[in-house]
Amino acid sequence: MSVKRNAALGRIALLEAIRSEGKAWDVIAPRYGVTNPDPPWKTSLIAMCECLSVSGTLPTLDRRRTEDELAAAVYSEVPAPERQLLALVHTLLSRGLVVEGDLASRMRTVRSRLEAV
Amino acid sequence: MQTAHKHAGGGHDHEVAPTVEEITDFEVLEIAVRELAIEHGLFTAQDHRRFTEWAESVGPAAGSRLVAKAWTDPGFKARLLDDGVNACKEIGINWAEPTGFGTPSDYMNFRVLEDTPRLHHVIVCTLCSCYPRPVLGMSPEWYRSTNYRRRLVRWPREVLAEFGLILPPEVEIRVEDSNQKCRFMVLPVRPSGTENWTEEELAAIVTRDCMIGVALPRPGRTADVHPVHKARRPVHSSPPHGKAAE
Amino acid sequence: MKDKKTSKAPEKTDNAPARFKAGDRVRVKDLPNMFYSRTQMYARGVSGTIAARTYQDLIPEDEAFNRDGRLEQYYIVRFRQKDLWEEYPSEKDTLQTEFPDRWLEPV
Repeated sequence: MSVKRNAALGRIALLEAIRSEGKAWDVIAPRYGVTNPDPPWKTSLIAMCECLSVSGTLPTLDRRRTEDELAAAVYSEVPAPERQLLALVHTLLSRGLVVEGDLASRMRTVRSRLEAV
Repeated sequence: MQTAHKHAGGGHDHEVAPTVEEITDFEVLEIAVRELAIEHGLFTAQDHRRFTEWAESVGPAAGSRLVAKAWTDPGFKARLLDDGVNACKEIGINWAEPTGFGTPSDYMNFRVLEDTPRLHHVIVCTLCSCYPRPVLGMSPEWYRSTNYRRRLVRWPREVLAEFGLILPPEVEIRVEDSNQKCRFMVLPVRPSGTENWTEEELAAIVTRDCMIGVALPRPGRTADVHPVHKARRPVHSSPPHGKAAE
Repeated sequence: MKDKKTSKAPEKTDNAPARFKAGDRVRVKDLPNMFYSRTQMYARGVSGTIAARTYQDLIPEDEAFNRDGRLEQYYIVRFRQKDLWEEYPSEKDTLQTEFPDRWLEPV
């Protein structure tokens, strides 16, 4: 049975802010008439999951179990690829592999870079 | 993203396919966490690029070709059933990619499950939704749901009925729970009405759902159709005889 | 690509005796629950038949805790659904899943 990890299932402010923006692919793609069922970052996310398993950081079974727990407890209303992304980041944050402040800051940098093009 | 272009007459005003014109926080998040992960040494940019290319290269067309070839070539079928990984090489699918020893989810132990008129296979991974991605691409959302994973092993006939597949009681339904390193694909029975079809025509009716085992191939059926649901219902809750997996 | 965790294609080795062959009757043990066990609760204590030998590989619990592993034989075991689930309505239906040698005992 799964070990109780209530602290790891608590909501994370940064991820809640992203989720509440409401811009999942299945919502915004139809607005632009785009019919591709998957967001453009999906394969990159898949690759990230594989790399984390190969490097031993987050083995597949471990990642899927926490993903199931988070999907049930925190991200149940989020569509599939966004749910997988949020669950992965949530796990990395809760295990201290990535720091929330660093991530928020990096998101600002990345957005500026993308919007400057 | 759609990339098809259509040339209007006269060489001016190409009709460009629509693209999403905004940058969402999800897109930014994926890039940001990836950059930080690489900087922290959790993996290398090179490895990530290799796996991204691999993820973009796999899809269910490979599985369809395996089935069509097995239906038309008894020698190939025998090789496919005997050694799935080696038989895949005959159609250019290499289970060793992209590392030389496969991926940490797909491994290199591919087995094809042959249906007969009296035996129908259906595949699940109760633990974590393992799936034969080199031949079927990425798994569908319903396959990954706890709803499907919990219910298929216990109530396979009910779950198949929700997919529109009802089999008579004299047909044995065999659930394959891929809980270790073997990865499985169903080789369905070739339907009647396909005599003298080419391999391409046959492959067109072998959809992903047929190779998982929740549908049967038949002439005219060239797409898997599901109602498209948002994840409205928590995936962890469902009564034993509840609605179809999403 | 540097691998720390993924099993390589298993080498041929004689140090993993395969106790069972296709057709043998076996029972799934109910060993103490290791954190990352892949042996499903629904199969524990249930008897089935060896459907096939698959490969030799690391014991998954060892792999999860990163010990240099012992190799052992894996098998696909076939169960009658009626033996897995109380009141399963059909006599014919079956379920197959995979176990390493140490999780099985002869019936």
